[in-house]
Amino acid sequence: MKDLSIKNKLYLGFGTVLAITLLLLVMAFNSFTRLTEANGWDKHTMQVLIELGLVRSSMLHAQVETRGYLLTGLESAIVNERDNAADLSKHMENVLKLTADNPRQQERLKKAQNLITAWVNDNLKRQIEKRRALGETKGAADILGQSNELRDSASIIKSATDLLDDAEDEENRLLKERTATSVAQQQLANNLLIMGGIAAVVVSLLVTYLLSRAIVTPLNNLTVALGRLGAGEQSTRAEVLSRDELGKVTQDFNSMAQVLQETQLREQALTNELREKVDSLMETVTRAAEGDLTSKVNVTGEDAIGRLGAGLSRMFDNLRSLLNNVQKAGIQVTTSATEIAASAKQQEATGVEQAQTSVEVLSTTKEISANTTQLLKTMEDATAVADYTTSATSEAQVNLRRMDQTMQNMVSATDSINAKLAALSEKASNINSVLTTITKVADQTNILSLNAAIEAEKAGEAGRGFSVVATEIRRLADQTSVSTWDIEQMLKEMQSAVSASVMGMDKFSEEIRRSVSEVRQVTDQLSGVMDQVQKLAPQFDTVLQGMQSQAVGAQQITETMMQLNDATQQTVESLKATSEAVHQLQYAAGDLQSSVATFAVTV
Amino acid sequence: MKALVFHIGHDRYGLPLQVVQRVLPLLELKALPMAPDAVAGMMNLHGATVPVIDLSRASGGPPARQHFDTRIVLVDYTDPEGAVHALALLAERVQRVQEVSEQALQPSGVRAAPFLGAVAGDSDGIVQLVELDQLLPAALRALLFQPEDKAS
Repeated sequence: MKDLSIKNKLYLGFGTVLAITLLLLVMAFNSFTRLTEANGWDKHTMQVLIELGLVRSSMLHAQVETRGYLLTGLESAIVNERDNAADLSKHMENVLKLTADNPRQQERLKKAQNLITAWVNDNLKRQIEKRRALGETKGAADILGQSNELRDSASIIKSATDLLDDAEDEENRLLKERTATSVAQQQLANNLLIMGGIAAVVVSLLVTYLLSRAIVTPLNNLTVALGRLGAGEQSTRAEVLSRDELGKVTQDFNSMAQVLQETQLREQALTNELREKVDSLMETVTRAAEGDLTSKVNVTGEDAIGRLGAGLSRMFDNLRSLLNNVQKAGIQVTTSATEIAASAKQQEATGVEQAQTSVEVLSTTKEISANTTQLLKTMEDATAVADYTTSATSEAQVNLRRMDQTMQNMVSATDSINAKLAALSEKASNINSVLTTITKVADQTNILSLNAAIEAEKAGEAGRGFSVVATEIRRLADQTSVSTWDIEQMLKEMQSAVSASVMGMDKFSEEIRRSVSEVRQVTDQLSGVMDQVQKLAPQFDTVLQGMQSQAVGAQQITETMMQLNDATQQTVESLKATSEAVHQLQYAAGDLQSSVATFAVTV
Repeated sequence: MKALVFHIGHDRYGLPLQVVQRVLPLLELKALPMAPDAVAGMMNLHGATVPVIDLSRASGGPPARQHFDTRIVLVDYTDPEGAVHALALLAERVQRVQEVSEQALQPSGVRAAPFLGAVAGDSDGIVQLVELDQLLPAALRALLFQPEDKAS
């Protein structure tokens, strides 16, 4: 039953009902046929009885007419005599024909026929002949009433009537029997119809119940399972109750529920993976926003998140290398600034030394002046004084040469400072180009974030979290742009400070060159003084003049020395300015380093 | 709905995100001689040629200035026959993707430019939405998307 398809179940059910109905019909038909047959027999017996009655009546008729003739002698009374005989024989024949199936009746009736035929043809005719012969004779009726013929006739009729009575009794008995059979048949037919009808109804109800149970139970099962599935119970399965179409539907439903459950699990897993990746990216980005660039981006893959992760990773790498470069450049700048500061200190010391030398020279020239005045008074000591003057002048020359050497050192130190400043300027340019790279990266990140936002929007509900990440990335890119702008401003300040330093150094160099030329001039003048002093001995007359010119020369030396002193002071001041510029440079480099140090880059 | 916000002159406009394919950096365009003013040129996108419409010039202003945040926005243009074409738009100051609430949207009431639609006010001022399918007049559309282009 379970293995049958619904079609076969329906065929089986309705076939059963149809078979019972057909069986019932056949039995009813059978019963009715028998009933009809019994009725036919009834009718047949009735016909026999009627014919027997007719025979009797025909016989009575013939007897009555003959008797009338015998009494009256009127020929008109026996007009129908021949017809009566014919009727009688005809009815007798009919009775014989009808009872052909019953040999006993046949025998009895044949006997009666013979008697009746003999009576009609012999006895009656003889009575009629006798009456006709008597004619109008008085008492004819009485004569005939005493005749043997009439007595014979009565006995014949008596025996014939007895036979007919027997036959009628027999037929009545048969009629009773057959009526009983007919009633029994009718009863049987009624019972059959009632029992068969009840059986058909019961079987139909049973078939209906079984069919509805076979169809409705799995359907109910399936409906309940569908309702539970609709309510979100993914593990719901309907029980397979049969192997028919509904069983197949149930199996298909189960496999569909299985597929649904698996699909949902897979989707859940995908969502979890995406969330994990986004969380990882968020953590990395948040730490990067706080300045910690050390964390690595672990998200890879070909999807949007993976590409985003790769882009972020590349961006972080670029930022790290950039910040490394900036830190290195800052260290270099600091080193250079320290070197410059050391050079400036050295120069300052040299300047102080030079100033001391100048003071010494000044005092020497003053001494020369005093000596010259003394020479003017003490001519005798002139030669000695002249000698002293010569030696003092040559000493001054040596000092001047030393001063010249110092000046040369200062020039070369200044050139070195200039070269350092040029290197600093070049580093600043390098930083500028790195900043251009950062700006490009920030720009690309901005585009990336826009496209990520578009992709997130197209991903629909699943891209909601990703959209937040895209917004964060865009903020980060904006922040990077702002930081880049800040660094650019700091760099500009640094470059202007370097330019100021270069200008100061140029001015300083110029002044040193002027000092050098003045020192050379002093040296030349000193040479002239020496020449004149050496000419003192042979040209004593011109000593006075020489003395005077010497006094003038000494005065000039004093003035020159004063100027030199001033120049040296200026040099010291310039050096202090340089020192200050270098300090500013150091501060700028320190600022740069501390700005960059807020980013942690080592992994 | 979400919209990509850009500028024409000093005003902000929004492009509905469902038509936007992606945002590209500003790149070298091939000039199209004798093309109408609104056509900025033609770009090569992975071998396919895509016409570029300058939104600033399409709305009657001067050509878009080439700033660092002037972008090319790649969109899907659906013509009245229902065919979809790749179209690039040159837009200034493409800044962000912004949420535009449906309730805030109101008809502008003025229909001077056929492709400028509903407006929405927010904390920064007014954003007007661009109706992309009204952007190209029939003549320009016929010029840009030739029949053999459709067949391909």
